[in-house]
Amino acid sequence: MNRAVILWRVASFAVAACFIALWQLIANLKLVSPVFLPGPDRAWAALVRGFSSGDLWSKLAGTLEHMAYGWLAASIAGIAIGAIIGSSRTMRTYVAPSLEFLRPLPVSAIIPVAIAMLGLTQAMALFVISFGAIWPIMLATIHGFAAVEPRLYEVARSLQMSRLAVIFKIALPSASPDILAGMRLSLTVALILSVVCEILAGLDGLGHWVLLSARAFRSADLFAGVILLGVTGYVTSVAMSLAENKLLAWQAAQR
Amino acid sequence: MASAAKRLEAVSGTAAPQIAFESVTLQLGGKTIIENLSLGVRAGEFLCIVGASGCGKTTALRLAAGLYQPTSGKVNFDSQPMREPRREIAIVFQDYGKALLPWRTAAGNVSLALEAGGMPSAERPARIEELLRTVGLPGHAGKYPSEMSGGMQQRLQIARCLAQEPKTLLMDEPFGALDAMTRQGLQDEVLSLVAASGATVIFVTHDLDEAIYLGDRVIGLLPHPGRIGIELAVNLPRPRDQLSTREHPEFLRLRRQLFDFIKATEQ
Amino acid sequence: MTANSAKALVLPLGILVAFEVWARATHLQSDSLAPPSEIVMALIGAFADLSILTATRDTLFSAFAGLAIGTVIGLALGIAFGISDTLNRLMEVTVEAIRPIPSIALLPIALIALGFGYRMEIAIVAFACVWPVLILSRAAVRSIEPRLMEVARALRLPPAQRVWKIIIPAALPRIFVAFRLSAGIALIVAVTVEIAINPLGLGAGIMLAQQALRPDLMLAYLVWIGIIGYALNVLLVIAQNRLFGRAALTGGGQ
Repeated sequence: MNRAVILWRVASFAVAACFIALWQLIANLKLVSPVFLPGPDRAWAALVRGFSSGDLWSKLAGTLEHMAYGWLAASIAGIAIGAIIGSSRTMRTYVAPSLEFLRPLPVSAIIPVAIAMLGLTQAMALFVISFGAIWPIMLATIHGFAAVEPRLYEVARSLQMSRLAVIFKIALPSASPDILAGMRLSLTVALILSVVCEILAGLDGLGHWVLLSARAFRSADLFAGVILLGVTGYVTSVAMSLAENKLLAWQAAQR
Repeated sequence: MASAAKRLEAVSGTAAPQIAFESVTLQLGGKTIIENLSLGVRAGEFLCIVGASGCGKTTALRLAAGLYQPTSGKVNFDSQPMREPRREIAIVFQDYGKALLPWRTAAGNVSLALEAGGMPSAERPARIEELLRTVGLPGHAGKYPSEMSGGMQQRLQIARCLAQEPKTLLMDEPFGALDAMTRQGLQDEVLSLVAASGATVIFVTHDLDEAIYLGDRVIGLLPHPGRIGIELAVNLPRPRDQLSTREHPEFLRLRRQLFDFIKATEQ
Repeated sequence: MTANSAKALVLPLGILVAFEVWARATHLQSDSLAPPSEIVMALIGAFADLSILTATRDTLFSAFAGLAIGTVIGLALGIAFGISDTLNRLMEVTVEAIRPIPSIALLPIALIALGFGYRMEIAIVAFACVWPVLILSRAAVRSIEPRLMEVARALRLPPAQRVWKIIIPAALPRIFVAFRLSAGIALIVAVTVEIAINPLGLGAGIMLAQQALRPDLMLAYLVWIGIIGYALNVLLVIAQNRLFGRAALTGGGQ
């Protein structure tokens, strides 16, 4: 069983390697102009060069910083606001429909407004990223809080638990699968908006790096940046999965 | 022992009732669920409530728990009006699957009641172990409710209720969803737990045999709206026994009486 | 029901009225805010000179063209991966390596390869739309009742007909859910690309309004983009309910 899984994995890596080889072949034969498509060898060399000179490190750090601050701010605010709205029926009736109306709004449309208010600054980026990332978290929290088993609230009442204890011991853990799913969605949103803000505002980060590389037709550097963004997306999503598995171990037991 | 004294007090009937319904009427959504219900439960008494479905027996229990407030009349606990649920009254819900925290282990679920009672964390593990042993779940402390059978989950809920050190235990068809063997075992365990703790019990069930087997007194409710239709004192010797008690002539007589009552209400 | 929808309107209307009153009382002069009445006037103006309609057409064209391409690719791959476990396992690493690349990161590549205009926007939208369709249609195909596949085998249907007559109809409700999700993504990505770099459509319109220091027009665009997003979502939900009723809901989550 386990052996088969490993074999499949190896085969799958081999297939991926074949695709990279194909890419190399296309680049070597210049089927696509090297101005647009560097071979994997050149992209790799650009990655190595970027890291050894320290340039890519600082760009990567910039993007991670934007993403992390915006996402964390969105998580804290989204859970808090979502908890307040979700735990009150009155709030749900009055506020939730407005939020549902705003949900399909392409959040990037807020960028010009943010630029008008805050200029091309870090503060603007932070605002945009957290504004975009807050929606999935907040809506998931509202849903999670509204869906807490009423019986558990009765248990809490009969134990005369304080309001704070009810929130932290009953409602939050019960809503945690929803909240974590929302936070996972927001992670992607935060990465995308970080890149967009860096492109627009020229803030230090991978978004700015790929744009500059494109403008200068340094396609190897451009691909290095895109690969790094892909890795960032992958690593953060894997980290989130690990966190979910750990925090939601009780759900695995349920299945 | 204190519990023995309490039991004696209960039997002699001189003390004021621990739980008293005084002309309680409850309306929900414009419908009268319970009408003019008066009822006293003495400290240490084991009261069973039976009735056809929809007669308001669960509602009566929720009134006693303070989860509902009567539309008119009063529910008193120790001569004080019940305005909200309180820790010395523990409720065992029928749907144990919903009443346990799925994200906490068995130990964690028991711990919830200890935390609510303000027990220092250092003292909790020993108490948790003791309680789990009491309900027959030693060695299951680390399991999640979803990893346990229905009977075990209900034991766990009972353990959590015992952790409240309740004066009164309210049980809402606690064994309704369990198979017959598990059910009989749990009946005897509840009887011995209650005897040891001296708690007052109100036990709602639709199983007439169960009501007579467990109770000091059985009340049958009439439906639409809920009110008392029959009241029987159960003078069967304790400790009760699954075989001999159920064959006792008095048991059979009460069973017959209760059965006729229920049959009459269903027409 | 009606009482609840009335309550739902209290908050937004209250905010609008309060904002209008506040803006008038303080004689608001701002580069970023404008009272609701001026926003409405700007919106009407943008309709009158057709600028917002042209922009809407451009954005929707790019979004739908990208959506169509992305859906076709995603569906083809999703069905193939759903049918053949071998193929799915072999491609796993490749898919997992490409999928996490944020679509917007491809913007510079599309820019140098395709230049400004529709083509690069469509390419990016298509890339973004492939993944949800691929993942959900793969799951949909896998969850087809095995009995149906046995029927197909018993009837000795050739593979192409098997896909066309059994697999796609059986998986269609959930595939539509994927399509709905992708349509939302397509609009978001199209607007984002326009805001970031591409000089066409609603995104460029709102950026121009900001740069021209016309907060009323900028916010009018914002409101309009919100309305388009909402309308698209509502239309697709209605279509889903009409076409598949409850089946789609039980099959594919939200």
